[in-house]
Amino acid sequence: MRPLDEKETTQVFEKLFNFTGNNLKNIVEAPSHEGPESNPGRYCFRLNKNRVYYVSESLVKRATNVKRDKLVSLGTQIGKFTKGGAFHLTIQSLNLLAANAKHKVWLKPTAEMSFMYGNHVLKGGLGRITENINTNDGVVVFSMSDMPLGFGVAVKSTQDCRKMDPNGIVVIHRADIGEYLRMEDEL
Amino acid sequence: MGRKKQKVVLPPDLPPDVAEDDVEVSDEDLAFVKENIEHVGFLNTLDTQSITRHVTRVADVKEDALESLYEQRLRKKTLLKEKDENLLEVDPVDALPVKTPDGKIVFRTVPKVPKVAVDTATEGEATSDNEDNVADKSLVRLSKAEKRAKFKKLRKEAKKQGKEVTEIEEVNETSQADVLEEVKKDLTAEEASESKKYRLAEIGTALLTDPEANIKSLSEMLQISKSEDHAIVTLGLKSLLAVFKDIIPGYRIRLPTEKEQAMVVSKAVKKMRFYESTLLSVYKAYLLKLFYLEGKPAFQRVAIRCICSLLEAVPHFNFRERLLAVVVKNISSADDVVRKLCCATIKSLFMNEGKHGGEVTVEAVRSIAALVKAHDCQLHPDSIEVFMSLLFDEDLGRAQRAPVDKRSRSKKFKKRKNQEEQPNQLLNNDKKKARKEMISQTQEEVDAEYKAASFAQDIAERRRMQTETLSAVFEIYFRILKHTFQTRTDATSGSYVSSGGHPLLVSCLNGIGKFSHLVDLDFMADLMSYLRKLARGSGDGNGSPEDCSGCLTVSERLQCCIVAFKVMKSNLDALNIDLQDFFAQLYQLILEYRPGRDKGEVLAEALKVMLCDDRQHDMQRAAAFIKRLATFSLCFGAAESMAALVTLKHLLQKNVKCRNLLENDAGGGSVSGPVANYHPYSSDPNLSGALASVLWELNLLSKHYHPSVSTIALNIANLTNTTNQVYHANVSPQQAFAELSLEKESFNANIDINKSGNKRKRVNVQQAVPTVDDAEIASRTDEVEVRKKLSEHFFLLRDISENGRLKSELDRTTKSLQLYQQYKKQKKKQR
Repeated sequence: MRPLDEKETTQVFEKLFNFTGNNLKNIVEAPSHEGPESNPGRYCFRLNKNRVYYVSESLVKRATNVKRDKLVSLGTQIGKFTKGGAFHLTIQSLNLLAANAKHKVWLKPTAEMSFMYGNHVLKGGLGRITENINTNDGVVVFSMSDMPLGFGVAVKSTQDCRKMDPNGIVVIHRADIGEYLRMEDEL
Repeated sequence: MGRKKQKVVLPPDLPPDVAEDDVEVSDEDLAFVKENIEHVGFLNTLDTQSITRHVTRVADVKEDALESLYEQRLRKKTLLKEKDENLLEVDPVDALPVKTPDGKIVFRTVPKVPKVAVDTATEGEATSDNEDNVADKSLVRLSKAEKRAKFKKLRKEAKKQGKEVTEIEEVNETSQADVLEEVKKDLTAEEASESKKYRLAEIGTALLTDPEANIKSLSEMLQISKSEDHAIVTLGLKSLLAVFKDIIPGYRIRLPTEKEQAMVVSKAVKKMRFYESTLLSVYKAYLLKLFYLEGKPAFQRVAIRCICSLLEAVPHFNFRERLLAVVVKNISSADDVVRKLCCATIKSLFMNEGKHGGEVTVEAVRSIAALVKAHDCQLHPDSIEVFMSLLFDEDLGRAQRAPVDKRSRSKKFKKRKNQEEQPNQLLNNDKKKARKEMISQTQEEVDAEYKAASFAQDIAERRRMQTETLSAVFEIYFRILKHTFQTRTDATSGSYVSSGGHPLLVSCLNGIGKFSHLVDLDFMADLMSYLRKLARGSGDGNGSPEDCSGCLTVSERLQCCIVAFKVMKSNLDALNIDLQDFFAQLYQLILEYRPGRDKGEVLAEALKVMLCDDRQHDMQRAAAFIKRLATFSLCFGAAESMAALVTLKHLLQKNVKCRNLLENDAGGGSVSGPVANYHPYSSDPNLSGALASVLWELNLLSKHYHPSVSTIALNIANLTNTTNQVYHANVSPQQAFAELSLEKESFNANIDINKSGNKRKRVNVQQAVPTVDDAEIASRTDEVEVRKKLSEHFFLLRDISENGRLKSELDRTTKSLQLYQQYKKQKKKQR
């Protein structure tokens, strides 16, 4: 377990910023009420076995007691570095993203299932969409009852969505909560 | 004399040939008058002389002599009149019929004019006007000059010969001049103006009864209105206006070309041409006069009124462009009356497009656009407000497109049919085709003719004009938005020294809201981004109030949000777009709202449009708004809090999960989402964590002084999680606001009765520290009442203090008296 170096930090923050915009500040500065200390600590990012975790400071202190190779996980995993060095957000980061999301898409009930099997979001499945989405923005996908289902990357801006035909892809699938079942072992 | 003349006037229902004669003469009249100028002067003299003599002599002669004098004069008069009438007939207008020997005159309608001319001081002018419409000015001057030149030379002669009504022309000239002089001395200015007024009225009525015959006297009216007297000018302009409104034909006059003039035409046509050209030339002169006077402050209102009503009444007629230009120029005038007039005119132009076929609409909108551009968007809002009365017929396109489709479809159908049947029925088909072609050809011809004849415009043409109008209107709107944005950014960057506000923005936003369904989808993205930036106001939510001089007021920003929602709603039924940014703005604006400064109606509308009409909300966001609205309704007056509570109830009914707020335990944990605590000052509704809080405000509100507010607060508090109440349509926040703000006055009386005792106590107790609550109540109740009670109270206080002071004084004096007495006693004792 070690803190991220500078390059890794920029990579992680760029990814997060793509989804949350200025709300990234809230993620970094959120107070944590874990542990016995009366004054709240902060959350921080830690790297362990190529995976990036979002952990409260008090937990980090306690995790130092565990041997590095014995430590499986701590806090919330938010992503991992691939062998090629790229950073990918994983589905566990969904809660964090959903709370601070800047761009959202709501799916119709009929389209939820398809998305949770790993398919892209088509225009026909859109129940609602935040205005002012641009191409390549990170988008969090919700069900109509405001339950976060996953996230992806916008292919079309909100303006262009209007002119599309119902079978066009609006959001490219990145992760969905179906992965907890489908890819249980890899997570 | 007048009566007799009227008799003479009445007969002239003449056979048409006489009229034609007249016309011929009047065509030549310029030359004629020049030749016979003395004759003209002569006949004028005769009339005046008799009158002036009448006036002057009667004063001199004693009563006895009077009778005989009158008799004499009567005789003379009859004699005179015969001559007089003969002479009148020499009037070039009716030159030919004059010569009837028996004195029964074949008079045309014109002679009315000379009759009045006799009475007026302006007779010289008037008659000469009558003789010659076109070249009148020069003639009048000429004759006057002559008169003056000869006046001195021939004065003696005039005195000698003046009594006898003889016919030497020069003498007559001088005597006329003489008389004129006297009359002018005699008549006061009032009388002159009075007579001018009569003259105006008479010409006016004559023109209205028979415009074709009296068209020449138009220019005389114009002449009269050129006098110095303010009242006369006004009257003249107004009566000319009335006349023009009545006699201007329903078509545009085109003056004949030289070629056409050279052609031989019938008398009727000639007459018509003369009429039209005269009308047009006088109209032009009148307009020039109006435009001239419009620049003068004293006459501005009258001139504008005339221009406006002319444009309103005859927008199809010649010179309308210039009228329009003047009206548009004054549309944002500083003068309220002028501006209102111009706006009303433009509005009526927009509303009654049938009168001019829409061309003027396009012109008007374009020229307003140019005006806005030229003035850099610093105009009075009224000038943009007029667009609200524009009408765009949306069915126009559809009605036209449908038949085209049908035709093409039927053609296709026919083709297919033909192809199928071709092999066996070729010959038969040819015949049929030929016949059909014939029929269709004739049909087309008939259609074309019908179209040409019918008054209705081509649909395509109208469509084109509507498109042009629309694009011009939106050009203006976008220009204003852009301008507002630019000055704002300048102001925040500090290079700009406080812009003078954005007068046009509100009406511009209203306009966009109204025509939101007509916005081109391509503009939509830009429009929305501008609206977002404008709604954001000062910076990104952290702007301090001092750098807010260039930014918009709360009402304007609310308006931006409303417009954005309207635009979205009217265009995007297919795609449900969530306007997150605007919600965040509204969330903040609710805090910035101040009841006196900002418009409550706008806030109520925003609540309605954004919170009530929108279909779904996130739970977090809804909860945040519920909490904030409850807080808000604690701080402001009954109307605002009522609007807020109505919205709140609506939100609670829709979002069942948010009813957790009504439970008496601070939620937190999983229910409240990622944010554990409630942040009352957070700027983003999604991150406020409102679900972790409790709606304790409702408990306070149920004790609100206003009964309806307290009822609705109780009502909301009783909504529970378990009972899923039937959703029923409520009053909208707007209605609630309007009702309560109307009720304010009537409700105040109630308050006074119910709470007067209570309040007095409060005033007594809290006078030292007036709380916000107290001040609010005081403002709500009748001010006079409060003042009275306060003054009573303070009088009482003062009396008490006065009492105390007096008492102490009394004590002191009594003490000193006692001391004195003691002193005296001691002295006595000493002695």
